[in-house]
Amino acid sequence: MTTIAETAARRRHAGRTRLSAKHREWIAGYLFVLPDALGLLVFLGVPMALSLVLSVFEVNGFGGYSFVGAKNYLRMWNDPLFWKGARVTALYAIMLVPLLYVCGLGLALLVQRTDRFNAVMRSMFFAPHMVSLVVVALVWQFMVVDKIGVISRLTAALDIGGFSFLGDPNFALITIVLVSVWFLMGFYMLIFLGGLQDIPRQYYEAAMIDGAGAIARFWFITLPLLKPTSFFVVMVSMVAAVAGAQAFDIIYVMTKGGPANATSVLIVYIYQQAFGFGAFGYAAAMASILVVALMLVTAVFFALTRGGRFNHEQ
Amino acid sequence: MSDKEKAFPTLTRRGLLKGGAAVAGGIVGLGGFPYINRLAVRAQETPLKFWQFYAPGGPVASQVEWFEKTVADWNDSHPQKIELEFIPNSEYISGPKLATAFASGEGPDIFIISPGDFLRYYNGGVLKDLTPFIDEAAKADFPESVIANRMVDGKIFGIPMEVEPMAMYYSVKAFEEAGLNENDVPKTWEALLEVAKKLTTPERFGVMFETQPGYYQNFTWYPFLWQGGGEFQTPEGKSSFDSPATVQALKFWQDAINSGAAPRQIMGAGGHDTIANLASGYVAMQNVGIWGISQLQSNAKDFQYGVFRLPTPSNGKYVTVGGGWAFVANAKGRNSDAAGEFCAWALASMDQGSVDRVATWCTKGKSDMPPRNSALKAGGGAFSTGMIGKFAEEIHPGTRAEPRVPPEVYKIISDAIQQTQLGGADPQATATSASQQLDAFLSSYQGAPIL
Repeated sequence: MTTIAETAARRRHAGRTRLSAKHREWIAGYLFVLPDALGLLVFLGVPMALSLVLSVFEVNGFGGYSFVGAKNYLRMWNDPLFWKGARVTALYAIMLVPLLYVCGLGLALLVQRTDRFNAVMRSMFFAPHMVSLVVVALVWQFMVVDKIGVISRLTAALDIGGFSFLGDPNFALITIVLVSVWFLMGFYMLIFLGGLQDIPRQYYEAAMIDGAGAIARFWFITLPLLKPTSFFVVMVSMVAAVAGAQAFDIIYVMTKGGPANATSVLIVYIYQQAFGFGAFGYAAAMASILVVALMLVTAVFFALTRGGRFNHEQ
Repeated sequence: MSDKEKAFPTLTRRGLLKGGAAVAGGIVGLGGFPYINRLAVRAQETPLKFWQFYAPGGPVASQVEWFEKTVADWNDSHPQKIELEFIPNSEYISGPKLATAFASGEGPDIFIISPGDFLRYYNGGVLKDLTPFIDEAAKADFPESVIANRMVDGKIFGIPMEVEPMAMYYSVKAFEEAGLNENDVPKTWEALLEVAKKLTTPERFGVMFETQPGYYQNFTWYPFLWQGGGEFQTPEGKSSFDSPATVQALKFWQDAINSGAAPRQIMGAGGHDTIANLASGYVAMQNVGIWGISQLQSNAKDFQYGVFRLPTPSNGKYVTVGGGWAFVANAKGRNSDAAGEFCAWALASMDQGSVDRVATWCTKGKSDMPPRNSALKAGGGAFSTGMIGKFAEEIHPGTRAEPRVPPEVYKIISDAIQQTQLGGADPQATATSASQQLDAFLSSYQGAPIL
């Protein structure tokens, strides 16, 4: 005899089974993503929206503000330092992203075998990433200081000295890029190591049986199968470079945007306008344009690379 | 403040709390709930915050002691208490700490500012008029040249605690190694560069001027502009930057770099740091202010050094720049009257305690010239002996106050210095271009006079 409670339980059970496995997976997926999505909305989405609102106001930083429409955007258009900042940012990204890619992948290839020596090497290469960026900047600043810095002495001894790493506008940005690469390459090495371990060994064995050399194996197996990882690395490093995520700390400590604005990437100029000059509205307008530029770059790159997905028709 | 700004008052945390407290008080107060009364009393007893970069816990014991004693003396004799809040120098001078605090309506009740930042805060409407707290005799005790850049329309908005003239410091050891002595101290720009070349070695630069962009670099460059008769604006408020004096001052710093005698990069905290640059042996001569004496006394006791006044161009006359910080009160603070009263009590009263306080700061707390005539007298022998005596007798008499400029003007001048000094730009073309930018800005500037 079936009780009423059993019938109800069966109905509830029947109701649950009406959800297909696909739907359950869909719900579970979104539930997993929900905390991060909420965090992004509150701590990223809302400030970005507020920044957009702020960009059409003139804000003096002491409670006074007035609506100015597109004035901040027009000012930006006519501001040579904004364009200088945009050029420096582009240069920084153009130098940083390929260098990071090559160094990160190179290190990963160097230490991909799993033995004790490589484990030590991996830790060594990753170690800089564990240090505070401010400390990194201070140490490097001291190492490249004119005449008495270790690296300055070394270059002088090799007769390639005579220039100032951070005091000469022609070298300051390159120095900042190299310090950034030194700091970041360990992180990207780890990402590439993950990608390399996903490539089935059989491909390499088959290639070796066919007589393929190391370069051919790298070119025809490793590089193509690293496409999703490469996409991720290029994407993340490009966004970081344009947004100036790491560059800001390094530049602020090492050069303060100098000499002669040679290292004044946009994020440094935005910071200077907001906190140095109290021009919060103008800074918000520049930040909004930077976000739009980042979105455009991301979209174009995504379209060109199909998001790093493999083309199965090939 | 415009009507439009008044129409849309800013919602701040403090405002929100006040509003919330008022609503809560209104609701609960109807029932005569005693807890709210206790809250109100407690709010009055909350100490006013005094932000600065000296104490408590600052790096120089004598300065920490002075600030702590000043606040303790006030707290012992006044119902409204004050609390010191230490902000690291890097966060304070060109960092975001003050800017973000005021932007969020949480600015300190009392703080210190330099002339370089005066207009930003005055034009922002947060500086309290301190004139009602200062009697006429005390007002007259401040020389016009010291107080003028803290005044607007005859009212005092900041009380200076010090005057800090710039000079050249040199290492006696470096001079001796180069076969030089105090008779070789240069008096002209040309002589300075010649001596600097002699002092330059593979491991040492001969002379150092600030290289990092910022308010401080502009401050240290002004005397070289003035010595040739240059100014950045006319009395009518138009740019006068495009002048032979500007070009020669820009070129002088550029020549120092191009000759290889001056570094493009400085050590330590910056150009104001004598320990990391001069005492370390990185440079043989350094352009720095009177505070260098207390820096060297505290942290490089055995270092032998000398001081001489800034050399002049062949067509110029001696002048140096005097900076210095001032106490100011937040007009929008919790008890701005008490904050204003404190500033005047501490530094601008004819009471002997106030006079002695200023004298003590300039002789024991920090090595400075006093901003008051009475404090100079009270300091007595301290201002006529040793290095401070040298400053008082030789260097300070040619002091001109640090200009007060809005950030836009500072940036134009800063870029001109950077482009010529380190970017290799042509001084004449740079001066012309900067002058055009200055004119464009000055024609639309609204705010307290630029001095």
